[in-house]
Amino acid sequence: MRQRLGAVIALAALLVASSAWAHHNMSASFNFDDRVTVSGPLTKIFWTNPHTNLLVDSKSGDTAGQSWSMEGPSPSFFRARDIPRSDFENAINKTVTAELSRARDGSHSGLIRTITLPDGKVISLCPQNC
Amino acid sequence: MKSFHQTTSMIAKGALFTALLLAAVPGEAQLPRDPVDRAKAIAQILETNASQLTLFDREGKEVSRIGPRGMYDRPVLSPDGKRVVVIKGDLDKETRDVWVIDVATGAGTQITTNQPREAANSPTWSPDGSQVAYVALRAGSFGLFRKASNGTGAETLEYKSSAPIDLTDWSMDGRFLSFFSADLGGSALYSLPLDAAGEKKPIEVARSSFRLQGPRISPDGRLALYVSNPSGRLEAFVRPFNAAPNPPAPPPGGQWQVSDQGSVGMAYWRRDGKELYYLAPNRAVMAVSVTTSPQVEFGKPRVLFSLSEATPIGASQAGMSRDGERVVMAVPPPQLRQLTLLDRQGKVVRTVGPPGLYGPPALSPDNTRVVVTRNNPQNGNADIWTFDLTTGQGTAITNDTPPDFGPLWSPDSKHVAYVSTRGSYSGIYRKAADGTGAEELLFRYTPGAGIALTDWSADGKFFTFFTGALLVVPLQPAVANPLDRKEIDWLKEEYDVVLGRFSPDSRFLAYMSNETKVDVMQVYVRPFDASKPEKPGPGPAVQVSTNPNGANGMISWRKDGKELYFITRDFEVMAVDITTTPAFQAGPPRLLFKFPGPVPGVQQGKVVSQDGQQFIVAMPAAASPTR
Repeated sequence: MRQRLGAVIALAALLVASSAWAHHNMSASFNFDDRVTVSGPLTKIFWTNPHTNLLVDSKSGDTAGQSWSMEGPSPSFFRARDIPRSDFENAINKTVTAELSRARDGSHSGLIRTITLPDGKVISLCPQNC
Repeated sequence: MKSFHQTTSMIAKGALFTALLLAAVPGEAQLPRDPVDRAKAIAQILETNASQLTLFDREGKEVSRIGPRGMYDRPVLSPDGKRVVVIKGDLDKETRDVWVIDVATGAGTQITTNQPREAANSPTWSPDGSQVAYVALRAGSFGLFRKASNGTGAETLEYKSSAPIDLTDWSMDGRFLSFFSADLGGSALYSLPLDAAGEKKPIEVARSSFRLQGPRISPDGRLALYVSNPSGRLEAFVRPFNAAPNPPAPPPGGQWQVSDQGSVGMAYWRRDGKELYYLAPNRAVMAVSVTTSPQVEFGKPRVLFSLSEATPIGASQAGMSRDGERVVMAVPPPQLRQLTLLDRQGKVVRTVGPPGLYGPPALSPDNTRVVVTRNNPQNGNADIWTFDLTTGQGTAITNDTPPDFGPLWSPDSKHVAYVSTRGSYSGIYRKAADGTGAEELLFRYTPGAGIALTDWSADGKFFTFFTGALLVVPLQPAVANPLDRKEIDWLKEEYDVVLGRFSPDSRFLAYMSNETKVDVMQVYVRPFDASKPEKPGPGPAVQVSTNPNGANGMISWRKDGKELYFITRDFEVMAVDITTTPAFQAGPPRLLFKFPGPVPGVQQGKVVSQDGQQFIVAMPAAASPTR
């Protein structure tokens, strides 16, 4: 309950820079009980509010050959953790591995829970995306 | 923003209203990194939000206070009533851990040691008090853990879930951990058999498109107590619990509604199974007698005691002892507010209306009334009210179960707009300012997403709200179907943009942003071109606030557009001279007055009169926690 309250506070109190914006309901779009791992070269990043987005060409597993759109939290989530956008820009055309909650609409898209960058750095996007 | 949290919070009106009352932003917001500013911000949050664990008897008499104030949540008394397990937040470390606190001494034992932002939640006791169970986020998954209640040894993972879950019960026979989960599609109650061989799999006790919270299993293992809202209002229900591998014979019948005036939760059984308890929306601790032989019957709910209006405790802040003789509550600081009109020097002109639980207020453009979200002390509903500034006479604009908030005046002072959540959708509604007539839906947003409505332009043509980006909703041209209205991203950047306020001539938008430093918001102004609302007009963003510590909201314009106001993190009310010809320029901010401490809601409200001479604020008013 406290977490729920905290989530509402973050929206309602408006005032301090939040690392957790959203313009839609996560569970409406993504199934938290349906996880998928996507690994392949990062092809493009979108780095604006209310949430970031990464495009990855999957090269392994059941998703091999598919282009995946992966939703991340707001850019401030990363800023607040001293993870610069350049970490992702420098990963373009290199292999990243992301664990996702799969989109409910069956599209090749998901909500990022964790992502491993080419240098092995693992970034958890929880609790925002979990 | 988390899905489960967001979904459930849409209908958690009590929590929502409490949130609207809060001055600072605990939990997920970005605290300043500068040590001095950080300490100051934390002190403000604690002053406004830190609760006192307090033990009451069943008549509501305070028995004792337990330990120091803190950011407590979900207190639960141990089976012998001598300890409390509770979630305690550490704002500086940004952690939430499970603690066990001795009722007599206040001494605490830390059970979990979480990483920052790795929250623990919803603790409960084993029947013998030797262990506690809780939910914790570990490596991207939620786990149901248990650990010795003296803090020794390692935690044991009982169940792992990708989706968020909320633990509510460890059955008195020790066999089940019960929890619930919810998303936009509905909720489900589960019980996890602890004595199952191999991998433990939860039993689905109930599933509904409505909200479900609980369950708690009766001492004899035959009944499950929970809350749900099939009528639109949360009520307490009991249904047979027969999902165990070798269940006792369930009682005849289906389910029973045991509350009659709503229940926000805190549903507990007495150890002998002959009484159950819950918290009513009006903050009354309720008791219901239970008979199971020859058939299951429930008595009429009766009030044990009521908390005062000043103490808007939610179900997550209260727990009943197993013998039904004690209630532990995380009592927040008094939340009662008095609408107060101040002059430009910060001196009280007059108070307006009765004390109450108010959200951020907004003065009418004609400077005769104030509109505000008010929590109805009788039913817990968050409704929109107006109050006459001269007489204090109040008028209920809305009177319904869904929470209504974020009220704004129309430019002609004849209507108010507000946000309300109906089902999965938040929308902006309009209603006559005298409370008459039906409400009108003007705009509906994406399913499950909230609307932080902050302004209605003086020309009446636009709303603005934010999601981290700043959006506008064109109200013209008129549309036959309000669902055809679409929001437009006005400023969508890498940094956060919040609290947009149109200039009186609608040629500029003022807002706050953390463009320069992620932990510091400053006030900026950019040109707004009504003919091209998809982006700011030509010209740079002009920074208006200059304090390195940043600004804290309350952005307002004087009607002539020549003065702009904001408040600092130190609750200093600042004024800035504005010129717009030949280009937008802002003078140095100057102090008008300073509040003695945090004033909840002042940051979000449109609190300044059109002439810049008066300010309406909801000042804290002291009161005792019980009545």
